Amino acid sequence: MKQFRNMAYPYIVWSVIMIVLPMLMILMYAFTQKGNDVLTFRFTIENFLKFFSDPIFLDVLRRSLWVALLTTVLCLLLGYPIAYIISQTSGRKKILLVMLITIPMWINMLVRTYAWVGILQDKGLINTLLGYIGIGPLPLIYTDFAVVLGMVYNFIPFMILQIYTSLSKMDKSYLEAASDLGANKVESFIKITLPLSLPGVISGITLVFLPAVSSFFIPKMLGGGQYVLIGNVIESQFLTSGNWNFGSAISLIMAIIIMISMYITKKVDKTGQKEGGR
Amino acid sequence: MKKLIAVAVTAMLLLTGCGGGGASSEDAIEKYGSDTLKVYNWGEYIGESVISDFEKEFGVKVVYEVFDSNEMMYTKLQAGDAYDVLVPSDYMIERLMNEEMLQPLDLSLIPNISNLADGVKNLPYDPDNTYSIPYFWGSVGIVYNQNNVDAADLEAEGYNILKNEKYADKIYMYDSERDSFMVAFKALGYSMNTQNPDEIQAAYEWLMEQRKTMNPAYVADEVIDGMINGNKDMAVVYSGDAATILAENEEMGFFLPNEGTNLWSDAMVIPANAENPKLAHEFINYILTYEASMDNSETVGYASSNQEVLDELSGEGGYFEGNEAYLPRDGYDKDEVFEDNQVLKEQLTQLWIKVKAGGQ
Repeated sequence: MKQFRNMAYPYIVWSVIMIVLPMLMILMYAFTQKGNDVLTFRFTIENFLKFFSDPIFLDVLRRSLWVALLTTVLCLLLGYPIAYIISQTSGRKKILLVMLITIPMWINMLVRTYAWVGILQDKGLINTLLGYIGIGPLPLIYTDFAVVLGMVYNFIPFMILQIYTSLSKMDKSYLEAASDLGANKVESFIKITLPLSLPGVISGITLVFLPAVSSFFIPKMLGGGQYVLIGNVIESQFLTSGNWNFGSAISLIMAIIIMISMYITKKVDKTGQKEGGR
Repeated sequence: MKKLIAVAVTAMLLLTGCGGGGASSEDAIEKYGSDTLKVYNWGEYIGESVISDFEKEFGVKVVYEVFDSNEMMYTKLQAGDAYDVLVPSDYMIERLMNEEMLQPLDLSLIPNISNLADGVKNLPYDPDNTYSIPYFWGSVGIVYNQNNVDAADLEAEGYNILKNEKYADKIYMYDSERDSFMVAFKALGYSMNTQNPDEIQAAYEWLMEQRKTMNPAYVADEVIDGMINGNKDMAVVYSGDAATILAENEEMGFFLPNEGTNLWSDAMVIPANAENPKLAHEFINYILTYEASMDNSETVGYASSNQEVLDELSGEGGYFEGNEAYLPRDGYDKDEVFEDNQVLKEQLTQLWIKVKAGGQ
C-alpha cells in the first residue's frame, strides 16, 4: 500500500496550487485594502462593513438566495417525477430518456441561455406566435420569470440525474416485501422509495443551489443588466471597478453562507437516512 | 518510386506555399526577429480578411485575442500577459501612459501616419502620437425608431427623452457606468468629467429615477440585435454600432443630443513588455493602409482613422452614404473626451451597481 500512497503527492501539490492557494489569496484580499506608497496594503475589515452597512447589497444578497431557493425547489418538484418515471422504464427506453436529459448538457450553457433570449424577446418566438392569435406582446425577457426559467432549465439535469441514480440503485426487493406485507403503492413510495432516494435528492439540491446562487450570466442575459444578483456584483468588482478587495470580501461572505447551508443539508441527510431505517 | 514522388510533391507544395504570395517566415524572422505577433483587440472589431492578408504579405503568424472591456484588458495586462499590439480607448491609454506600461512609437516605421483623418489628429490624451495611433473613433448617441418616437420630442428634450414616460418599457440603456453616467451628466448640463460631489449625486439620482419610472433594459452588445429586430424604440448606442443598426433596419434613426456627447477614440499601442515591437510597428502601419482600413470600417461600421476611407464610405455611392451615425460630429464644444480618473471611476462603478440593483 505504501508505494501507492506516494503516488498521491503530485495530486496534493496540484490541489495546493490550484485550490488552497487561491483560497488563501481571496482571504488575504478580503481582509486588506490598497494602501499608500509606503505600505502597499493594510489589514482592515472595512470591506465587510461596506457590504453589511449598505441596504442595497443586503437586498441583492437576499434576492440571490431567494432566486436560488426558488430554482432549487422548482427543480426538485419537476425533477423528481421525471427521475422516477425514468427509473421505472427499462432497456432501450431508459437509455434514450437518460440521453435526452444529458444531450443538452453537451452544448455550452452560454449558448443554451442565449437561445432563450431569442425565444423570450419582445419580438421573439413566443411573442410572434402570440401575435398571430392577437395576444401580447407580453413582457417575458428581463423579468423574474425569465431568470428563474433560465436557471431551472440549465440546472435541472443535475437534479434529475442525481435522483435517478439513487432510485435505480434501490433494491427492488424492499418494494416486493412491502406489497407482501399489504402496503399499497402510495404507502410503499412514502415509506421506502422516498427515504431511499433522499441521498440523491440532497446531492441534487446541493448541485442546483450552488451554481444558482453564484450564477452571473443567466441573470445578466435573461434579466438584463438591471437584474443584479450577488454573482454580478462580484464580477463587476473584479472586471469593471478593479476593486479586488471588496470582490474577495463578498466572495468570502458567499462561501461562508454556502458552507452553512451545506452543513444544514448534511444534517438533514443524516436524519433522513435514520428515518429510512438504515 | 511512389515515395520519391510523394517527397517531390511535398517539396514542391512547400516551395510554392512559401513563394506564392509575400514573404516567408524565414524572411520575417530575419527582418523582425520573430514571425509571431500577438494582437489584443475588441471583439468584432476587425475586417474579415485583414489578419489573413497581413499574415500572407509579411509571412508571419498573428495570434489574435479579443476583450469586452478596457478593464478586462487591463486586468490581463497586469497579470503579466505579453501582447505586441493593444487597442484600448482614450482614457485607458492615458492610464497606461501614466503607469508607464507603454513604449514610445518609432514614427519613422509608420509612414502611413500621413493617412490619418483630421478628426483623430492631435487627440488630447496623446497629441503627438508618441504612444498611440488611432484605430476607430466615434460618439455615443440615441438610436430611435422613427415610426414610434416623435422627432420633435427628441429635439426638445435631448437626453431627457430617456425619462419621458411616454416611452417607458421601451428603452435600452448601455450597461456601463461610463456611458450611463455620461448620459445623466449631459442631461443635467454638467461636464462628464466632473468631480463635484453634488453633481455626481444629482446624476446618480437622475439614473435612479429613470430606472424606477422607465424600467429600462441595461444591455451591452445585445443592443445591436435588439434594435435591428425592433424590440425597443430607443437605445443609447455607440456610433459604429448605430451605423450597423441603421444599415440593417431602415426604420431606425440616429440622434446626437445638443447637450453634447462622449467623443471617443480607440487607438493602437505597443505595451512595454511587447515581445515583438518591430513587427508591431509593421502591423500598425498596415492597419493605416487604404485596404485594411476600408475592410475594417466597412465590416464593423465604426468611423475609420483613414481620411480617404472615411470620405469614400460616407461620400456619394459609399456604403454608409446618408447614414447619420457613421461620421462623428466634429468640433462641437459640448462634446468631450473622457479623462482618466481612477477615484471618480471607482465611485461611479459603485453607484452604477446601486442603480442596477436598486428599485427592484
